[in-house]
Amino acid sequence: MDPLILFFALVNGLLVGGIYGGIALGLSLIFGVLRVINFAHGSFLMLAMYGAYLLWSVFGIHPYVAPVIIVPALFALGYAVQAWIIAPLFRRERAMVVEPISALLVTTGVYLVVDNLVLMAFGPDVRAVSVDIAQESFFLLGLPVNVARLIGCVAAVLLAWGLALWLRRSDLGRSIRATAQNRDAATLSGVNVPFIYNITFALGCAVLGVFGSLLVAFLPVTPTTGLSFGIKSFLVVVLGGIGSIPGSIVGGLLLGVFESVASQFVTATSAAMFSFGLFIAVLLFKPSGLLGARVAKR
Amino acid sequence: MQSPRQSRLGAAILLAVAVLAVLLPWIVQDSYFIHTVIMVLYFAYMATAWNFVCGYVGQLSLGHSVFSGVAGYVTVLLFIQTGLSPWLGMLAGGAVAALLAVAIGFPTFRLKGPYFTLTTIAFAEILRIWFENTDTFLGIPLKGAEGLVVPLIGDSWAAFQFNGKTAYYYIVLAMLALAMAATAWMERSRLGYYLKAIRGDSDAAESLGVSPTRYSLIALCISAFMTGIGGAFFAQFFRYINPERNMGIDLSIDMAVMAIVGGQGTVFGPALGALLLHPVAEVMRSWFGGGVLGLHLVVYGVVLILAVTYLPKGIIDPLSRLIGRGRKRKEQP
Amino acid sequence: MTAAPLLQVRSISKRFGGVQAVSDLSFELRRGEILGLLGPNGAGKTTAFNMVAGAIAPDTGEIVFEGQPITGLRPAQICRRGIGRTFQLSKPFGSLSVLENVMVGGFARSRDRRAIRREAEAILDFLGMGELAHADANDVTAFDRRKLELGRALATQPKLLLMDEVVAGATPSEAQEMVGLVRRVRERGVTILIVEHVMKVIMGLSDRVIVLDYGKLIADGVPAEVVAQPDVLKAYFGERYAGARA
Repeated sequence: MDPLILFFALVNGLLVGGIYGGIALGLSLIFGVLRVINFAHGSFLMLAMYGAYLLWSVFGIHPYVAPVIIVPALFALGYAVQAWIIAPLFRRERAMVVEPISALLVTTGVYLVVDNLVLMAFGPDVRAVSVDIAQESFFLLGLPVNVARLIGCVAAVLLAWGLALWLRRSDLGRSIRATAQNRDAATLSGVNVPFIYNITFALGCAVLGVFGSLLVAFLPVTPTTGLSFGIKSFLVVVLGGIGSIPGSIVGGLLLGVFESVASQFVTATSAAMFSFGLFIAVLLFKPSGLLGARVAKR
Repeated sequence: MQSPRQSRLGAAILLAVAVLAVLLPWIVQDSYFIHTVIMVLYFAYMATAWNFVCGYVGQLSLGHSVFSGVAGYVTVLLFIQTGLSPWLGMLAGGAVAALLAVAIGFPTFRLKGPYFTLTTIAFAEILRIWFENTDTFLGIPLKGAEGLVVPLIGDSWAAFQFNGKTAYYYIVLAMLALAMAATAWMERSRLGYYLKAIRGDSDAAESLGVSPTRYSLIALCISAFMTGIGGAFFAQFFRYINPERNMGIDLSIDMAVMAIVGGQGTVFGPALGALLLHPVAEVMRSWFGGGVLGLHLVVYGVVLILAVTYLPKGIIDPLSRLIGRGRKRKEQP
Repeated sequence: MTAAPLLQVRSISKRFGGVQAVSDLSFELRRGEILGLLGPNGAGKTTAFNMVAGAIAPDTGEIVFEGQPITGLRPAQICRRGIGRTFQLSKPFGSLSVLENVMVGGFARSRDRRAIRREAEAILDFLGMGELAHADANDVTAFDRRKLELGRALATQPKLLLMDEVVAGATPSEAQEMVGLVRRVRERGVTILIVEHVMKVIMGLSDRVIVLDYGKLIADGVPAEVVAQPDVLKAYFGERYAGARA
């Protein structure tokens, strides 16, 4: 195995992994605050990608400009889904804590609806945006680095850092963290928990608006793209520790590198098997992930 | 307590449905209709098999199709390679599925709630991806994503191949009846009590002498065995098996959604769910043709959301209260 | 002739991270006694209790029941050996009726559903809950849930019953009812180890008490004597009252 090729795989894995981390940010945040595992996470990403694609194919808007429209759109969608579809579950439970399986089932329902509406609207064909930036690479230490992927990775790190900072410094951010740590105490301190839940879910989806746009610049999209990214997000979040923002990035980097290196030895689809195996291994042996605080075991 | 008249009403309805089911192929001769009913019965059977463990122990498995797929492959391979009758091959396939269930269940039952679910998906996907990417294994051709075709033998009981649909209809009907009977038996047995106890409070159950892992595994093995037989039936009915159809996440979700919408933790709920949902899928397909793929899944999704939010005990709950049979398994003398 | 003790706890300890929850605890339980386990909050009562119940494995020492070691056995095995326990915060098994809840315990001893059912009905009568037999277990009052806890454990036909805070949150008349029940359980031949905060109850009920403080045993004797000991008074009330008499 040529060390140069391995190194290239490593670098590429880091870039793609950073993007995975960014995509998983929302999932981690939503679980950390609402304790809901959003099975439709990938579906929302896919909506963002198709949205950016449409903006490009109909209006000629560059994917990097698309977030201006896509991010608020996804924020609104996330808010609506939480407020109208998931919140009724919270209201049903007197303790304002949803039985985790019910939330998982409801978000599975959302996944079924969104993914299949997309399938109905766009058909099973592959849609791709073609912009110059997808082709551009520059050379770093003799290795080609794809600019579009680099931008995505940098965006992920910046967003994660910005989000963490905002959560620490802003009033709303503090309310969110308070709710994540102790919902009852937060309520007693005057935090409007249902509103926080809505905002957090909306925020988690809004982040996907950024990455959907950035991704579609170099990645084609099909109606199955959502599920595959959704599953990758679960892997990332388990690896890095659910509820942890830096954990999301670290987990993403790990997954990206693991996939990239593995696919040098086996086909890319087979590499997915090992990713799943890694997922199971982490859940069984180190359930809190590398940076997370929640423990999954009975 | 339910009044005698109400219990008799429930029993009468059951009897009427059973008689109708047995006589159906004589009443309606249309092949497409019988095919659709066979599929409804098949899904009812699969949902009942899923419910045997998940509806009672309270964990959500979204990887159950792996049992159907593995058993299906074992059955088909045994038939193709050794000529073993699928009647026996099914049993072997079911046994393999049960063993797989132990291997998967033992580590996975230690996990809680959504982590359990995600892990079942992971295990199922690992196997499906392996099957999809493997052309031959130990010299046996698996043909990866292309799948295996069961050679046409013609009308033969031993080969589990029949002209026309009638024989398949009665086979799957018998399978469903057996699965529901097994569920009813389990509900009244120690296993049933223990599963419900584990679901209620695993620690309290343990202090009453119940080993949660052991009994969850027993239920999972039986469920996997039944699911496997269903998968083998499906493979024989279509004379074709491939990883996407028989081991995919879509099948796992279908099984779970039907059982949940119909009513988990009951004998008839899963079948009711299949009876309500599958015809919807068929209607969508025939009205809109192939042009609107996926519409029925949109409907499933909406129904799932509504059911979980407003009818968490499933549609059978209000229905059975109407009939007065009572959803709760009251102690029978 | 002294009978061998039913339960012997020898030098058990448990550490959680930086906290030594229980250290070098030894005590015995004689057949037919009611032993009270006392101590201020954080004294290690619950940890000690859970070690005997099998929910936690001791770091050191051993626990011997009827002459057989049971140290480190899982709760399900402990139950089969003849030790039952109640939980302070347990949930009833929601998809089962009150009667069926009690029957779950019965399956530990028999496979005969009809016999188990009769036994469970008898237990519910004993508890004064006969009419609730077919009620949804989720729908009963908090005190009835406490009694249900007791009923479930009794169904396993324990020789030793570990009871955790059975009168917490009960009204005075409910507490009195529970005390009566505990006495009658002992009359049926069950040995009892009880953890309780309510002094009046545990002092009146116990033949003997042991007191823990900071994980260590500081007193072991008849209630009247123990309550006057300076160490015990200091543990509950602080230095200044160590000299006071009960």
